[in-house]
Amino acid sequence: MNDERTIQRDRMRFINNTQSSNLCYLGILFNVFYFVSIYKSDVGTYYYNILIGASIVYNLIFMLAVFLASEGVKVYQKSSSYLLCAVGIGQIIRIFILPMRAHTATTIINGEDALVMHDGQFTRVVVYLAVSAVCLIVSALINLKKAGELEEHMKTLNAQNA
Amino acid sequence: MATLSLEHIDKIYDNNVQAVFDFNLDVKDGELIVLVGPSGCGKSTTLRMVAGLEDISNGKLMLDGKDITATPAKDRDMAMVFQSYALYGHMTIYENMAFSLTLRKENPNVIHKKVLAAAEVLGLTSQLNKKPAQLSGGQRQRVAMGRSIVRNPKVFLFDEPLSNLDAKLRGATRREILLLHKRLQATMMYVTHDQTEALTLADRIVCMSMGHVQQVGTPLELYDQPANVFVASFIGLPPMNFFDVVVKDGVLEGKGFQVALDGEEKHTLAQYNNKQIILGVRPENIVEGPDVKGTVFSNENLGMNTLVHAHLPGGGKVSAKLKGWSNYKAGDAVSFSFNRKHFFDKETTNAIRGGK
Repeated sequence: MNDERTIQRDRMRFINNTQSSNLCYLGILFNVFYFVSIYKSDVGTYYYNILIGASIVYNLIFMLAVFLASEGVKVYQKSSSYLLCAVGIGQIIRIFILPMRAHTATTIINGEDALVMHDGQFTRVVVYLAVSAVCLIVSALINLKKAGELEEHMKTLNAQNA
Repeated sequence: MATLSLEHIDKIYDNNVQAVFDFNLDVKDGELIVLVGPSGCGKSTTLRMVAGLEDISNGKLMLDGKDITATPAKDRDMAMVFQSYALYGHMTIYENMAFSLTLRKENPNVIHKKVLAAAEVLGLTSQLNKKPAQLSGGQRQRVAMGRSIVRNPKVFLFDEPLSNLDAKLRGATRREILLLHKRLQATMMYVTHDQTEALTLADRIVCMSMGHVQQVGTPLELYDQPANVFVASFIGLPPMNFFDVVVKDGVLEGKGFQVALDGEEKHTLAQYNNKQIILGVRPENIVEGPDVKGTVFSNENLGMNTLVHAHLPGGGKVSAKLKGWSNYKAGDAVSFSFNRKHFFDKETTNAIRGGK
């Protein structure tokens, strides 16, 4: 166990995958930015339908799932990577649900038609969701790679010990 | 490794209380020195001065011939193991052991090699992913030692590292420290109030009392040739028996007993005829015999030995460690002889050696 790469792999037995778990936290943070920016108070009753409830529940589930996955990727759990991939793809799909609809919808404010979501806000929330998605997917990919390497390393170690 | 030299070290606190008086010691390369003494004798203060955690009031501290008296603790290249382990509870054992090197921004791969090597030496390899709370006291103390080992310091300092452990674990960990010293061949200073630890671990023992060094020597020297009454009473378990006796023409006269001296002892005490001295006899140097008669007041069977405590007719007490199992009862008459005697000057309490 002298070459640098082998040592690096061996370190994974004792060191948490903080790179992936930190990316998870970043993903959660950008999701928080998203949901605190999406609901504006001057757009009348546009958001007051079934979607708002679903969105709130989804955000709660999202945060719980990503937090649990972050704990999983810390210890190189492959299943957590799959969960993160799914949630990351979900973040991209979310762009086409609320923001895209609100960007094209109008509502009456002070007797005049107004866009529910202007370009600036739309760009911002799309960026938040996209960054959140990228963080989660990259986190998942890094963990998959590291978990694979660790698995291989453990096999080698076990074979040496046998 | 390193040599350490303490020259005329004093410790005087701001309130003018002096804790250490004129401490002199040369620690050889790879030597394990044990500072032993009762609480408050200045042993921990001395160790803390060596570590740089306490200022040295007077004197010089030399490491490998270089004066480090005023060098800050972090630059002394010494590692200290404390009684309280001082481990980070939220970190794994691996992270705890790697912590000091991580702070120094050493290459992670180098840190990894050092931690694994230290864990191997200490038998902690299978525990590296655990948190300190999941380990026993002995294992935690080994982690604390491992944290020192990875730094590869010039000198290891131990401040009563076994005091938090139960008796059984203390014995096991003590043997591990001894093996560790043999394996690392490192210069070590070890503070303890437990004379068993001192006797079993030390290459040399420094026995201290009230801030003064009483005797420096090998464990056997301190046990067999104590420099004074304090060392004689502190080293050895159960402690030595002391009797005030008068030397009278080849006989020691105590209160209620008389003991004849052999030729060598007569020679040793030639200048003390008709003078009062202190006679010291270790309990293990007492056998059943005709010289000293007493009345048993306690009988403690220890398995291989029996500790018999008796009152002497003159009002004194004697404790004898007799071989085998004895069934004395309180009030039984008993009679002892002394195999090996130690003599101390009544005024100075210093040992009386042959040729004086």
